[in-house]
Amino acid sequence: MTALSDRGTIEPPESPPESTPAPTPAKKRRRGASHERQGWIAHIFLLPWMLGMILVTAGPLVASAVLAFTDYDLLTTPEFIGFDNFTRMAEDERFWAAVRVTLLYVVVSVPLQLGFALFLAILLDKGLRGLSLYRSAFYLPSLLGGSVAIAILWRQIFGDAGLINTALAFFGIEADSWLQNPDTAPWTLIVLNVWTFGSPMVIFLAGLRQIPEELLEAAEVDGAGRVRRFMSITIPLLTPIIFLNLILQMISAFQAFTQAHVVSGGTGGPLDSTLFYTLYIYQEGFRSFDMGYAAAMAWVLLIVIAVATGANFIASRRWVYYGDE
Amino acid sequence: MQDVNRRTFLTFTGLGALSIGALALTGCAPGTSGSAGGGGGAAAGTIRFAWWGGVDRQKAYIASLDSFSKSFPEITVEPEFGDYDAYQERMTTQMAARDVPEVFWIPSPQVLTYRDAGIYRPLDDIDALDLSAFTDAEIKLFQLDGELNTLPKSMFSPILRYNKTFLDQDGVTIPEKLTWEGLSELLIDYAKNNSGGHKGTTYGAYHDMPFESYLRQRGEDLWTKDGKLGASTESVAEWINWWETLRKAGATTSISEQDGIQPGWGDTGGKILMSFANSNHIVDEAPVFPDYEFDQRDLPAFADAEAGYHFTYYSRFAMYQGTEDDRVAAAAELMNFNLNSLDLLKLVGLSAGAPPSAKLLDSYESSASADEQKVIASTRDVATREQRARSEAPAGSGTWRDILVRELEGVTLGDRSVKDASKNFVSAVTSEIEKA
Amino acid sequence: MVIAHPTLDSLNPDLDEKKPPRRSNGRGKRLLRHIFLTIFALLMLYPLLWMVVSSFKPSNLILSQTGLFPSEVTTENYTGGWDALGTPFTTFLVNSGIVAVGSILGNLFSCALTAYALARLNFRGNKLYFGLALLTMMLPFHVLIIPQYILFAEIGWINTYAPLLVPKFLATDAVFIFLMVQFIRSIPRELDHAAMLDGAGPFRIFWSVILPLMQPALITTTIFTFIWTWNDYFGPLLYLTKTKLYTVPVALKSLVDTETQSGIGIMFAMSLVSLVPILLFFLFAQKHIIKGIATTGIK
Repeated sequence: MTALSDRGTIEPPESPPESTPAPTPAKKRRRGASHERQGWIAHIFLLPWMLGMILVTAGPLVASAVLAFTDYDLLTTPEFIGFDNFTRMAEDERFWAAVRVTLLYVVVSVPLQLGFALFLAILLDKGLRGLSLYRSAFYLPSLLGGSVAIAILWRQIFGDAGLINTALAFFGIEADSWLQNPDTAPWTLIVLNVWTFGSPMVIFLAGLRQIPEELLEAAEVDGAGRVRRFMSITIPLLTPIIFLNLILQMISAFQAFTQAHVVSGGTGGPLDSTLFYTLYIYQEGFRSFDMGYAAAMAWVLLIVIAVATGANFIASRRWVYYGDE
Repeated sequence: MQDVNRRTFLTFTGLGALSIGALALTGCAPGTSGSAGGGGGAAAGTIRFAWWGGVDRQKAYIASLDSFSKSFPEITVEPEFGDYDAYQERMTTQMAARDVPEVFWIPSPQVLTYRDAGIYRPLDDIDALDLSAFTDAEIKLFQLDGELNTLPKSMFSPILRYNKTFLDQDGVTIPEKLTWEGLSELLIDYAKNNSGGHKGTTYGAYHDMPFESYLRQRGEDLWTKDGKLGASTESVAEWINWWETLRKAGATTSISEQDGIQPGWGDTGGKILMSFANSNHIVDEAPVFPDYEFDQRDLPAFADAEAGYHFTYYSRFAMYQGTEDDRVAAAAELMNFNLNSLDLLKLVGLSAGAPPSAKLLDSYESSASADEQKVIASTRDVATREQRARSEAPAGSGTWRDILVRELEGVTLGDRSVKDASKNFVSAVTSEIEKA
Repeated sequence: MVIAHPTLDSLNPDLDEKKPPRRSNGRGKRLLRHIFLTIFALLMLYPLLWMVVSSFKPSNLILSQTGLFPSEVTTENYTGGWDALGTPFTTFLVNSGIVAVGSILGNLFSCALTAYALARLNFRGNKLYFGLALLTMMLPFHVLIIPQYILFAEIGWINTYAPLLVPKFLATDAVFIFLMVQFIRSIPRELDHAAMLDGAGPFRIFWSVILPLMQPALITTTIFTFIWTWNDYFGPLLYLTKTKLYTVPVALKSLVDTETQSGIGIMFAMSLVSLVPILLFFLFAQKHIIKGIATTGIK
């Protein structure tokens, strides 16, 4: 096996997928004798994770689940109130405002951001000079993270006298601040999210690197055009990574907090139009000292994300192709 | 609603026992020491001291702590600071874990919330505490419900600030006796006719202190003695209407122009003739526009304003309930330093307000900057006025300004009437207080 | 999956960018791509450019004079910002570096082990564990942070880096478990079987088959861990209260006063300073992401 670490010249027994690797039916995994033995070996590998689960994660996780059924103001002993926190949600207008804007954000910004990231990853993959410079340029916005600077930057762009309105004025169009209009404010945050497409782009770049050049060349010899090569080789082989990015970005969009917090100064305004779900959780927990309600909302969010993720996993069997199947 | 005792609570949580247990424990048994004893012994030990502010204040306080440790080499002070929001986030977490700094500043909406959480240590039994600068009447004023558990670190009042340069440019004069109506006319007139294209003011209905003054002039309180919202729906509506009149007449910057209900001084300060502010703000804000001269004066008042409407806001600090007995003396020395030290005042200046000790203010006067002189003038002016007692914001009211801002957004965006917004405001604040 | 006799360009990362484009790609098309990318890059970078310019303006002009061409230029934001909190800014950079490097080591170690077990080993509860790991990503941290703080305060870890680092060594960043599982799953199982026939056990397979082949995932994990911990704010804010222990974001945020907005210039200047290490790191890691994949020979 030493050959492996040695710029691998490996000849695996199985043949590679055909040049048009339609998702192949999963092969039966070889289970059996090794099953039992692998059990305890697996637990050695899992030891750090299990310790982390028990010592670091589980306590706070369970605590928050219990707190969801209490009235807890952070300062005095939690008081058990049954399902009150959950019934309260149904009548809480701000809760529903948060749900609406968060759903809009997830549904719009995730595909946009992924599309952007994939498009640029392909453009930046190979064949040009100075690519690493471009990559860094595109990645820079993501590095700024949730810096306070973002709030001021965004006002410079979308504010009353910002870049966009200056440009519009050039064409004789007058417009108000995009951040102060509840109809446009959430969209400025969607733009902000798309602007930081660097993270999924890096993952896509790593994924693109794994696609065998030979397959593409063979297809070219067979007379497949650019588009066809892309659609029938690149995309299918990239599906696990697309799926990965989809799940990661979806979860992070559901939990989007920093940008809305920074841009709206923590209020979620104007008129709750940027009140992202986790921003509302934060407001209830840390500003209104209502950690019980915050915990209840957090668990509702967890369930929603879990269902969305589960649905994606099920759907993924139809379109994601794994090399280990 | 059933109070869960700790045992069932723990059983209930299973895996979360550890952290939940800690939650319950910290909730039931605040701190280690009671109010008994303390005050004796040498002032020594490590004291954590928490405050908020921007870079200038951090610099000043860090420098002042150096001078403190020269006088008290046995005391080590560990500063914990952050901006206002970060400070509160950290404080909240530390309170939940009962791991609070020995000496800390109190954000204005949280004074009674923190008290109800039992994190203030009573101060009347600490011999080391030096309150000689204050009269008994003053000390009585500092008490919360008859208990001395916080002290003022600084004080300020609402004022009306104006750009003297703009005023002179157009030869505008502000009448000595200024009513709300008169001010409204003046601002509208100015915005229409001034030569520089300036506005009268920013849309400032969210300003808490002028709002409180407005209410007091109408014979109401912002917070009542028994911990309720004192503002009537009518008064809130009148207040918003006063601003709406200005906004609709084009006398204020538009919401778009000032980037929201709460404008930043840097964006708007150069465009307006006047603004409502606290008496200390001029120290930080005037230097942003070095080309202009600013001054400030008393707020407008109704011709028939209720007597004693003037008020001084005391920004407070406190000692943590759980301060160990052998550190109480050291913590008290640090509080003394904050209350009485001219060295400290010279370093931090008046940007966070005037010192509550009139003697200290007198001795500082000679080193005050031109803008600080204006703070001193306002402070002394208010001190001569009759002041009706005011109550602190009750527990649960911490979000009242957020609620006001939300309703003002609704009004200015044409989403709801002033009447509805006022009703919403009163009912939302009331229900937040009841919930707490 | 594929029989790899590595072609020349896959062995030499530098060639990658100099490689002549495929013959169908004319000069004009290349130029077009350059133009597009340049315009796009400028669009992306405008806000940063504005920040750079602003950092050289006197603090009081930043908000009142917003154009790209300042009337006055000063370096006081840089010189004054360096010592603004009574501790040189280098201390914060070093602290952030310690947290970042520690977190990277922790995540690489713990997540790789976990991901291998979840992706490759057959045992009862495999799917359950995977689901559980994913579940821990889904709860917003705001409701976890206080119980966590209480936990670490009880242990006495406040004002140490332990609350930030120890969890990383215990695979609490489930994102990276998921990322690595996905990458491992795209490695052909046949490689494991071949190794197994040679008598290799799970540990050998993990060490000499999987680890070398999952280098892209490891590097991606490294990049993300670095950037996320470098930007992480809430954890360090709560756990590190002594100025000497502050990380960069905590230091940056205590420069600006929310009310008066003083200190913005200094904050801009120091934000830019703190971008430099990340940028260098990213450029470096980028080179390796290409090299790493090239040397594994999985093509």
